[in-house]
Amino acid sequence: MARRYDSRTTIFSPEGRLYQVEYAMEAISHAGTVIGVLSQDGIVLAAERQATSKLLEQNIGSEKIYEMNDNVVAGVAGLTADANILINQSRVIAQRYLLRYDSQIPVEQLVRRLCDLKQGYTQFGGLRPFGVSFLCAGWDSSYGFQLYQSDPAGNYSSWKAACIGENSGNAQSILKQEYKDEEKDNAAAPDSKTAGTNMTMDDALKLTCLVLSKTIDTAKLTSEKLEFATLTLKNGKPNIRIYSSDEIDEVLNKYESVIKPSDNSN
Amino acid sequence: MSIMEYCGAAIVAMVGKDCVAIASDKRLGQQQLTVDMEFQKVFPITERTYIGLSGLATDVKTLHDRLRMRVNLYKHREERVIEPKTFTHLLSHMLYERRFGSYFISPVVAGLDKNNRPYICALDTIGCIDSSSDFVVCGTAATNLYGACESLWEPDLGPEELFETISQTLLSSIDRDAMSGWGAVVHIITPSGVITRDLKSRMD
Amino acid sequence: MDAQFAIVGRDFAISVTDTGVSRSIVKMKHNQDKSWQLTPYTIMTVTGEPGDIEMFSEYIQSNIKLYSVRNAQDLTPKEIANFIRGELAEALRSRNAFSVNLLVTGFDKVTGEASLYRIDYLASMAKVPFGSHATPSFILYSVLDREYTPDITLEQGLEIVKKCIAALKTRFVVDMPEFTVKVVDAQGTRSIDIVQV
Repeated sequence: MARRYDSRTTIFSPEGRLYQVEYAMEAISHAGTVIGVLSQDGIVLAAERQATSKLLEQNIGSEKIYEMNDNVVAGVAGLTADANILINQSRVIAQRYLLRYDSQIPVEQLVRRLCDLKQGYTQFGGLRPFGVSFLCAGWDSSYGFQLYQSDPAGNYSSWKAACIGENSGNAQSILKQEYKDEEKDNAAAPDSKTAGTNMTMDDALKLTCLVLSKTIDTAKLTSEKLEFATLTLKNGKPNIRIYSSDEIDEVLNKYESVIKPSDNSN
Repeated sequence: MSIMEYCGAAIVAMVGKDCVAIASDKRLGQQQLTVDMEFQKVFPITERTYIGLSGLATDVKTLHDRLRMRVNLYKHREERVIEPKTFTHLLSHMLYERRFGSYFISPVVAGLDKNNRPYICALDTIGCIDSSSDFVVCGTAATNLYGACESLWEPDLGPEELFETISQTLLSSIDRDAMSGWGAVVHIITPSGVITRDLKSRMD
Repeated sequence: MDAQFAIVGRDFAISVTDTGVSRSIVKMKHNQDKSWQLTPYTIMTVTGEPGDIEMFSEYIQSNIKLYSVRNAQDLTPKEIANFIRGELAEALRSRNAFSVNLLVTGFDKVTGEASLYRIDYLASMAKVPFGSHATPSFILYSVLDREYTPDITLEQGLEIVKKCIAALKTRFVVDMPEFTVKVVDAQGTRSIDIVQV
C-alpha cells in the first residue's frame, strides 16, 4: 500500500507524511548511539561504534566524531558514507565563511546551512534524503557553548543534553532525569554564556558514562566500541579534543563506580 | 615602474642549526607614499611553518586568506598538520593555477619539518620553487638583502645568533631601500616553539 | 578630487568627507553625503568614480543588511571590512572592476574598541589609526602624522579634523567649502556640525 507514496522523496502520502524521510529516520534509530552533554565550561560528545571485529584496522582514527571546524565538532548517527559528504560540505562552508568575513562561523549558521542542504533532498526530485543525524557541539563568541541536533528532514534544535541513534528515547529520559539544570528561580539571563546549567565538565563526563552504560547493550564498556570528544575553551579559543583509546579507558576507569550498578541490573 | 614594486617589501629567511628564521619589514606603501607602518607580511601557516608574502598588498591578503582556507581543510581532512614541503607544493600549484593572470606575489616559506629539519624556499609569481640550504630573500630590497646575507650568514647558527644575524641583515638592507622599512618583525622557529620579536628601525 | 579621511581614538572614530561632486571642470553638487551607514555601529565613506560608488556601495550596504536580517545579528567592523575587501578584490580581477576608495570606521560592542580600515581601489586593506586617500592625502597625512597620538579624546580628535580641513583650504587647489563629519562610538553614529574654520 505504502509503495504508491514512497517511490519518490517528494511525494506526500494522503495522511500528509513523507515516507522516505521517515525511513531515513528509522535507519538512524538503528545506528550507534551518540550522546552530547552541555556544561558550563564545555561540551562532551560520546559515540558508540557498532560492529567491531578484531580484524578491523583500528588506526583509522574516528568514524563517528568529526571536526567540522576549529569551533565545531559533530557526532554522527546514520549512514557513515552519507555523513562523509555532509561533513566535507560543512568544512567547506565553514572555511568559505572564514574567507569571506575573516572570523569563525557562528555555530547555528553552520548547522542551518547543513540542514538547508539536507532539506533540499526531501523536496527536489528523484534522490533519497541523507540518512544522517548530527549532534553538533560548538562555541562562538556571541552565544558561547551550544549543542544542536539535526535530522534527515532538515530540522534542527538546540539542547542542553541530547541523544540520537539506537535507544535514544531511553537515553533521553535518563538525561532528563539526571541533568542538573539551573534553579528555576534564578534562571540565567537569556544572554548568559553559561547556557543556564549547573553542570561542570566533570559532571557532564560522568553523566555521559552513566547514559552510555545504560543504553549500550554490552557486558562491559570498552574503548574499542566508544569514541569521546570534548569541546572546551583554552586561552579564550575553542579547543577540540578527540580522545585516544587509552584516554577513553582512563575516563571509563575514573567513572567506574557510576557504570558498575547498571552492569548488575543488566 | 613594476607592479611588484608598488607597495614595497623586504623579506628574508635563514637556516640555522635545528632552527630557521624569517623576518620582514612592516611598511605598506603606494609608491612613495607610506600608508601603514604595521602591515603584516609574514604569516603563520602552522605552528612551525611561516610564509612571507612580498608584492602587491591586495594579493598578499587574498593569497594568505586562500592559503589559510586550503591549509585548514587539509588539517581537518587529513587529521594532521601540513609539512613545510607539502605546503610549498600546495602554494606552487595555487600560483601556477593563475599562470595567465598571476598573483603579483613572490613568497618565501620557512619552517621545520616533522624531524625538526629546517626547510626554506622562495617562489616566483607563477610558483617555481627555489629551495635553498642557507638563505632566501624577496621584495624591493632583495638585492640589498643578498649582499648583507652573503657577508653576515654562516652555517650552524643557534637561535639567538641567528636572530642577531637576520636582524642585522634586514636592518642594514632596509636602510638603503626607500620602499621598505618602517619597523621590522623577526620570527625564530625552533623545535620548542617560535620566538617573535619586533625590531625598531629608522622611521624615515 | 574628493577629500576623505578618518581618525580613530581608543573608543571612537571620526570620519570626514568633503561634500562636492564635480565632473571635469564643473561642480555638479555641493551637498553630497559620501558616507554609507552599514550597521548602527559601522559607516563607510566612499570616493572615486561616481557610477562605481553608487553601484558598489549599494551592493555592499544591501548585503550587510541582508546578513543582519537573516542572522538576527550584526557583523562586526572587522568582518564588514573583510567582506568589502573580498568583493572588491574579486571584482578587480574580473571585467568590471570598481574604482572606489573606502574608509570603514566602526565600533565593536564586544571588544569596546573603535577601528578604521583603509581599503583602496586595488583592494589593499590596512587597519590604521588614521587614513586618507588620493591627492588630498599628501596634504592630510603630514597634518595627521604631526598631530595624532593613540590616546586622543573626541575633542582633541575634532581639533585635528579642524586642522586637516584648514590645511586643505590653504594648500589644496580644489575649493572645498563644506565637509561631512561623522562620529562612531558606543552610542552609535552621529553627524557633527563642525564650526567652519
